[in-house]
Amino acid sequence: MAALSAAVAAGVLTSSVSADEAYYGYNYNWWNDPVPSQNGYIVDRVVTGVDIGVGPLNTPSDIFIEQTTGKIYIVDTNNNRIVITDESFDPSKATELKSFRYGEEFPESQSKVQKTELSQPMGVFVMVYKEQTLIYIADYMNERVIGCYEDGTIFREYTKPSSDLYEANISFRPEKVVVDNALNVYAVIPSITNGMVQFSYEGNFNGYYGANRVETTAEVLQNAFYSLFMNRDQMMKRQRAVAIEIANCDIDAQGFIYTVTSSKNADKDILKKLNPAGENIYLNMGFDDMLFGDVATYYNGQTYASVIDDVDVDENGNVFLLDFFSKRIFQYSNELDLEFIFGGEGNQKGLFTSPTAVENRNGKVYVTDGRKNSITIFKLTEFGAMVQEAVEMFNKGLYQEAKEPFEEILLRDSNYWFAYVGLGNAYYTMGEHETAMKYFYMNSKVGYNRAFKEYRMDMIRQYFNVFMIAVLVLIVLAVVISKAGKIMKKRKEKAAQAAAGGDGDAV
Amino acid sequence: MRFDLDMPAWKWPFYVCRHPFEGFEDVRWKKAYNSKVALVIVLCLFLVTVAARLMTGFVFQMNFEKVFNIVPLFSSSVLIFFIWVVGNWSLCTLFNGEGKMQQIMCVTAYALVPYIISQIVYIFASNVLTRQEGSILTFISYIGIVWSVVLVISAMKAVHQYSMPKTLLAIVFTVVAMVIIILVLILLVSLFQQVVMFVYSIYTELMYRFSM
Repeated sequence: MAALSAAVAAGVLTSSVSADEAYYGYNYNWWNDPVPSQNGYIVDRVVTGVDIGVGPLNTPSDIFIEQTTGKIYIVDTNNNRIVITDESFDPSKATELKSFRYGEEFPESQSKVQKTELSQPMGVFVMVYKEQTLIYIADYMNERVIGCYEDGTIFREYTKPSSDLYEANISFRPEKVVVDNALNVYAVIPSITNGMVQFSYEGNFNGYYGANRVETTAEVLQNAFYSLFMNRDQMMKRQRAVAIEIANCDIDAQGFIYTVTSSKNADKDILKKLNPAGENIYLNMGFDDMLFGDVATYYNGQTYASVIDDVDVDENGNVFLLDFFSKRIFQYSNELDLEFIFGGEGNQKGLFTSPTAVENRNGKVYVTDGRKNSITIFKLTEFGAMVQEAVEMFNKGLYQEAKEPFEEILLRDSNYWFAYVGLGNAYYTMGEHETAMKYFYMNSKVGYNRAFKEYRMDMIRQYFNVFMIAVLVLIVLAVVISKAGKIMKKRKEKAAQAAAGGDGDAV
Repeated sequence: MRFDLDMPAWKWPFYVCRHPFEGFEDVRWKKAYNSKVALVIVLCLFLVTVAARLMTGFVFQMNFEKVFNIVPLFSSSVLIFFIWVVGNWSLCTLFNGEGKMQQIMCVTAYALVPYIISQIVYIFASNVLTRQEGSILTFISYIGIVWSVVLVISAMKAVHQYSMPKTLLAIVFTVVAMVIIILVLILLVSLFQQVVMFVYSIYTELMYRFSM
């Protein structure tokens, strides 16, 4: 028995020590060229439905981790169930949520008799509210979002609104759902371009939330031109330019909702951070034209654009984006600085064929794959943890304290551009503006500008006396020279006059 | 008309800058077309274009390229200048313009002096100003451009003895002519490339055959 456990331990050890990942870490430099970098995340383990103890999964399309309890909720779409487990993926902890009954909030005819089941659920959201776990499930084919307790008792059902604002011929098939702290429910519906559908806790339709902007494409201009001379009926037949629909969403600890669009053609509103009024905060932060996902759009003889399919935000504000095209995960800091890129396309560990959702807890990243029917768990490497720690300090404003970790990062990966920005800020706060300028050069224009301003001030303070004396001397010299020149000129003129006078006399 | 215009050739461009309206008439009257001065100005234009790419302060540097390539800078300054001269001459000789090619080249070069000076000031200032003071820089470069454009119009008017509307029309059509010239040049270059490739492939083919 002891020998067996030792062998298992050895196996675990070797598998965790081996650093050969199926993907290469990279990052982008000042010119947006990909440069090799150390991996921030490596594969911890891959679990399947059998490992969890609930039988094989069939197209898992969403995963959610309740951060306080650490429970993991997996949407097993084609098995029409929600699998509940925890971070150990211990079979004894696993349960499944398959059939539901209506609670006492519903009329007695429903609550006593009827049971209901899911039909291709696509999304799940869980929150602990007043020590009660509330589970919200986007029940795709049944055209509803249900809110239920852990025992499967439905306390609320959100269905297609009968409001004038909601066009009657549009189906209500929710793909994802989030709930804010006031228990408002936001449903992402792929057929709606007006934003997310917002319900109050009671189930009233509140309107739309966080619509994307219409892109100024050639089509929009064309339509504007045609509308000059086409009549209403003709215009109705033309295709209307509409905003791109929201593909996925997440909510952070402060209650900001993040949305992504998965359109290849979108070049704005790809990732949005929405305030309660539904406005994109990133616009004010100057990220209007930011490209998310892979920046280099030419690879292997074909152009491509990232298809951002899922977004996840951790408790420090780090943003994880899942690119369905390259099957990679991009981690950004809360200031949208690219930290890590990991994952990729393939069948090996750590690669995906059809990644569907990303979620994180305690520095581990969980990614579901809808075709491999598995969940891949990534863990931070030493390098990754170091970057996380440094960036966290940096974002809290502890620039000086972050100096050492950033220096350590540069020792390990001298191409890691954000470390230069961090060091620049460290030297800036320490008052060494010239050194700060060196670090900011080709890394951050904003930082360079700030350091340069101080540096210029230093220079003026240091050399003001010399400078002023030089200016004064120059002024005095100029005056003297011009005076002398005038005197000389006068003398010359006098001499010339005298000579002319003499000549005149002579003639 | 002034009568104190006996000055060395290098002073003419600066005189023209200070007298945008009658300056070029004076140039015409005194026949102060000096090709050497004009070519020096074109050289300065080229140097300033290069310096703007290499020496503008980091804060104001818009296009930091990894690999410095001088060919686009050359073609966007010197080549464009001469295409302008050729285009303007070939158009205006057909429309009763009095200017000869050398005269057109000289006055156009003279007219570029404010632009060159403003670029030099821009490059220096961009190394001492911060982004918040960037509007000063924009102002400087706009002044240079507008001044030079005014001078070019005045120069064309004087050198061809056109009326104002005709001058503007001639400038617009000169731009069209430049586009056509560039198109033909590109076409020519690519055709020659193909000819060279063809000859080269025949050569390699023959070499294979004979080395057997």
